[in-house]
Amino acid sequence: MTAEDVTTASGTSALLGGGTADRRVSSRSAFAAIAITGIVLALVPIWTGDSRTLMGVAVGGLLFACYAIAFNVIFGSTGQLFLCVGALAGLGAYSSTIMSDRLGVPFPLAMLLATGFAVIVGGAFSWIAARRSLDTIFTGIVTLTFSLAFANLVLGQGGFTGGETGLVVEAGSDTFLRTQIPPYYLFLALVLVYLVGYVVIHRSHIGWAFRALRDDEVAAELTGVDVARYRIYAGAIGSGMIGFAGALWAHVEGFISPDTFSFGRVDVPVLVMLVFGGIGTLLGPVIGAGVFTYIGEVLASYSQLRLIAEGTLLIVLFLVFPQGLVRAVRSGVDRLRRRGPP
Amino acid sequence: MTAVLLDGIVLGLQFGLLGVGLTVVYGLAGVLNLAYGPIAVAAAVAVSLSMQSGLSAGPAVLLGILTAAVISLLLNFTILQPVYRQEGETRVLLSLLLTIGVAFIIDGILVWRYPIEGLSLNIGGDPVSILGVPMRTGSLLASAIVILTGGALIAFFRATTTGKAVRSVIQDEVGARLCGVNPARVRALIFALSGALAGLVVVTEAMASPVTISAGFRLTILALLVTVVGGLGSIRGAFLAGLILGIVNSVSSFYIGAYITTIILLGAAALTILVRPSGLFGKHA
Repeated sequence: MTAEDVTTASGTSALLGGGTADRRVSSRSAFAAIAITGIVLALVPIWTGDSRTLMGVAVGGLLFACYAIAFNVIFGSTGQLFLCVGALAGLGAYSSTIMSDRLGVPFPLAMLLATGFAVIVGGAFSWIAARRSLDTIFTGIVTLTFSLAFANLVLGQGGFTGGETGLVVEAGSDTFLRTQIPPYYLFLALVLVYLVGYVVIHRSHIGWAFRALRDDEVAAELTGVDVARYRIYAGAIGSGMIGFAGALWAHVEGFISPDTFSFGRVDVPVLVMLVFGGIGTLLGPVIGAGVFTYIGEVLASYSQLRLIAEGTLLIVLFLVFPQGLVRAVRSGVDRLRRRGPP
Repeated sequence: MTAVLLDGIVLGLQFGLLGVGLTVVYGLAGVLNLAYGPIAVAAAVAVSLSMQSGLSAGPAVLLGILTAAVISLLLNFTILQPVYRQEGETRVLLSLLLTIGVAFIIDGILVWRYPIEGLSLNIGGDPVSILGVPMRTGSLLASAIVILTGGALIAFFRATTTGKAVRSVIQDEVGARLCGVNPARVRALIFALSGALAGLVVVTEAMASPVTISAGFRLTILALLVTVVGGLGSIRGAFLAGLILGIVNSVSSFYIGAYITTIILLGAAALTILVRPSGLFGKHA
């Protein structure tokens, strides 16, 4: 299991993956890892395909994998803490729904336009953060205020958004998007596309710039990397990925509400999944999403204790694997290998 | 208009004190405590439960404040210990993630054991006229408590040796250590103080309107906004920011409406960050 690491991931902080040796794997093994992930996930409907509820849970898991991969591009690659994943996804979902149901825009086009909105908003945040040289925490707080403002906007503009009761999504209801199993494979394809995109980005000159600015921002700036520009790239690309996933999910699910995209329901889990899986790793977000979706499903029957269990789990995980599961497994493997000749 | 402004000031003083409890911990320990709101709610539940079991309001309130202080201290001595081994942004980030976990646990326990608990303190007495505006006794008592506590806090940080030790650690932990200040002891003191403030604010809030167990997230966010607008680690800044946000809140909820008010409040906070990233009174980052 050493194929996950596409980035060199030697940032300055322990949480962002410091201390890992400079290790680059070939594109071939990264793509092999993606292929294996695809095959494993493609088998899931064998166990869950009979149940409509379980398929819904599985699609939800893939949706969160999409969010986490995109968040990894923004936060893992360039250290911008965007605490507005839910709001960006909601922006995609609501604008796509309103454009297709109210304004009569064909829904594939509406989804693309919605993605465009998310790109603009995310890029604008990165631009502002770079212009005002906000650090991680302040970027987090500014984007958090956007999240809460978005939630209030949705609640306040009930005429357009359905307010607290939510909005039924008509567009897409007469297509395969509302069947039981095909949406799962659609989202699986999206996860794989995002993963391939992640590898391609990190192999290109953009990836080199990401690594340079993550390792040492000042040094990167001095060697001629336009830090602000690459931050904006990461913010715009990642936000577009989030917005598209949110819009697609709206047309698959057929119903959206402010609760679906709230800070507590999206941003907190995504952050937890990514940190658990390993920030800046290729498969960390997918593993994190898988594990937490499974745990959530197991705990669903103990709904009263669920919050307590999740909180305890979160604390234990961060105390035990502050660098993420992928790196913990890898350093364990390395230690086993090093036994023998030094 | 005067009534709206006075309402805003009453609210703003509470916001300020709420912000102080979060900002001192951030300034001192580099910890962004997202369990702050739930700890305040735990205090409210403790007050409510002890009043139901026959305790009179005064001792019940003290017990509630003590509960919050103890929870906050426990947090400092247990799961935050590994956080103190980290530095800078990693410390903030790890503290943020761990305290989210704590917030879940406290919320979870409250939802599980006391789902319908809430605290509402009715202070009797006729309205008192201030500047020609009749004010409820509860609001006036709440404001008096907040102003007295705020004054006491400022005196404590300015005049006492312990208070100066706390500020020295906020300014420079290594320097303070060299002068013989023990940061761990100062941290314990500040966490207890932070918890007590959270408890006190929630009690004053309950004098005007009921506090339910779902208030934790809102209180945390409010404290965070006040802290950021005032400047991380600045006590004066937190009070000023609290007042500004309180007045903005009541003016716009009176003239415009509730949802938009929240957006305006958030916009004001975001704008302050963008115009002055270090906040009104913050150290330059």
